[in-house]
Amino acid sequence: MTKAVRSQFWHSDGRRLSGLSTMLLLLPFFAVIAFVFIYPIAQLLLISFIEPHPTLDNYARVVDNPVYARVLMRTLWTAAVVTVLSAVLGFPVAYYMSRTKGALAALVAVCVILPLWSSVLVRTAAWSFLFQRNGLINSALMALGLTSQPFKLLYTQSAVVIAMTHVLLPFMILPIYGALRSIPNDYARAAAVLGATRLRTFLEVILPLSLPGVVSGSLLVFLTALGFFITPALLGSPQEMMISTLVSKQIREVLDWPFAAALVGMLTVFVTLLAIVFSKTLRFDRLMGGAS
Amino acid sequence: MGNEIFVNAASTTPATAGASIRISRLEKRFGSVFAVDGVDLDIAAGEFIALLGPSGSGKTTILMSVAGFEFPTSGTIQVDSEDLTYVPSNRRNLGMVFQNYTLFPHMSVLDNVAFPLKMRGLPKAERHARAEVALTTVRLGGYGNRRPNELSGGQQQRVALARAIVYQPRVLLMDEPLSALDKNLREDMQLEIKRLHAELGITVIFVTHDQSEALTMADRIAVLKDGKIKQIGPARELYERPANLFTAGFIGEMNFVDVTVESVGDVVSVGLPWGETWHLPATAAVDAVTAGEAAVMAVRPERLRLGAAAAGQVVNVTLSDIVYAGAAMLLIGRLPDGTEMRARIPGESQLSSLAPGDAASFTVPAAAILLYGGKRR
Repeated sequence: MTKAVRSQFWHSDGRRLSGLSTMLLLLPFFAVIAFVFIYPIAQLLLISFIEPHPTLDNYARVVDNPVYARVLMRTLWTAAVVTVLSAVLGFPVAYYMSRTKGALAALVAVCVILPLWSSVLVRTAAWSFLFQRNGLINSALMALGLTSQPFKLLYTQSAVVIAMTHVLLPFMILPIYGALRSIPNDYARAAAVLGATRLRTFLEVILPLSLPGVVSGSLLVFLTALGFFITPALLGSPQEMMISTLVSKQIREVLDWPFAAALVGMLTVFVTLLAIVFSKTLRFDRLMGGAS
Repeated sequence: MGNEIFVNAASTTPATAGASIRISRLEKRFGSVFAVDGVDLDIAAGEFIALLGPSGSGKTTILMSVAGFEFPTSGTIQVDSEDLTYVPSNRRNLGMVFQNYTLFPHMSVLDNVAFPLKMRGLPKAERHARAEVALTTVRLGGYGNRRPNELSGGQQQRVALARAIVYQPRVLLMDEPLSALDKNLREDMQLEIKRLHAELGITVIFVTHDQSEALTMADRIAVLKDGKIKQIGPARELYERPANLFTAGFIGEMNFVDVTVESVGDVVSVGLPWGETWHLPATAAVDAVTAGEAAVMAVRPERLRLGAAAAGQVVNVTLSDIVYAGAAMLLIGRLPDGTEMRARIPGESQLSSLAPGDAASFTVPAAAILLYGGKRR
């Protein structure tokens, strides 16, 4: 491991950095990670095992009460739906971006990236404005005569899914765009001259070669969606809590830190397991070795 | 009889007849720039033709138009008298090999070769069997289960070749297929492609910027510059009697001397820059030259002889460099007016006594001299 890291660092005159200099260069980064990430997480997980006394009771409570299992399942399900939705919506955008050049391409790229510059809070607040009982969506539907009375949109799981998909879409589009851009133009030409129609070229060549981007985009969106807080808290129904809102409730209202820590522990185990399964089953790096 | 034996010898794959190709008044403009500027090209069925030229000469654009990746601004492309000018690539039924192999990295070698058959709706068992036969043709039988990235560059290009011929197209297009390979592999592949061409009888259009590759491989070579064909003909004709100054300078090494034409007749008299007058046979003039106008005299370095001999014109030079180049010595001399004159002399021991600064004389056989009207740019 050290060897692999060391070989990446070079002096400007071409000599390789010594192991010690490499360590010194990496130290600030690892120090920050250790103090602001690893230490607090470890403390929190520790609490779940030792308070009020060394026990597994906190985890037993999560497993025993079906309400909490439902929250966990709902969180996983919501994250999965958001991931699939953003892949379905994001792929065409990424594909279009990779095919376009010039001013139009820049405009699309700005449209994709611009939302990232505004805070999640602002974007979620904007959605709650749209979803209101007398908000834009309902008044439009009524003005068109499609419905006589307003739908309940705000404080539903659908509102959460729609807004989360919107917030997370760039994290799906950008990796797919990167994967599509790295596919040489000649592949599509080769497929065409070998007799493939545009559709078959896409299905047999472009889509499979862009899968690594879809997988990394999906991982990014799915893992972020699991821990999403602001959007479910502002747009979701209190009867259909997600794990992040539940954890927040336990910490700020019930003041049950050990139980909140156990919930976080469960989520961490799930996420870690998923990450391992993904990296073991999808060896795209091996598959893509010859793409040049 | 001879034909039958030939077909049997090539029975690894069924012999395919090549198609004739007719390119008429092909023009491709990008904005106000002509990439291809009125090209006419007739290619016989089964012919191996090379498009040779510097980058930007339009050779690739012509190939792209034949492949259907570019549609020309005007002009037509016919294959076996069927107009394909605006037919999409996937319905042209042409084979193509790219510079960078373009094997699909997510498919096995066998699936890569079977890909065009899959697109043509063949059942799996049959397309795999035919792909295996095609792999055997390029001497890669048994490599089907590998991934493209597990093969060397030369092997990958052979797979690409198998993929391009497995559906027995009538025409094979090659876009600098060997330029990504190192020198030894390139020579192997040149022979491999020549062998396949002879075996399959397929028509080949081969784009290259490597003149030795074009000269060794093609039946005819089209030399391109600025979107126009400057000359087209077999290798010997192009090398021995280039039709214009561009081809003369582009193919092989050539010495040029600016001269003035003094008289024209059975003998052409030219005035050399240092005042001498040479009388050349009328056949030396490649284009029409007019008395009193400027012309350029051209001669290949390997046609010069060291020392004054009876047969030929003699020039005196001051040697500026003597380079040992294996099979021959390269002598670089300056003519009295300062023009450089190179001679390639097969290795002789007396040459070792020569040193830069020495005076020497070269004999130029009259038959080796070519004369072009006009001036060098």
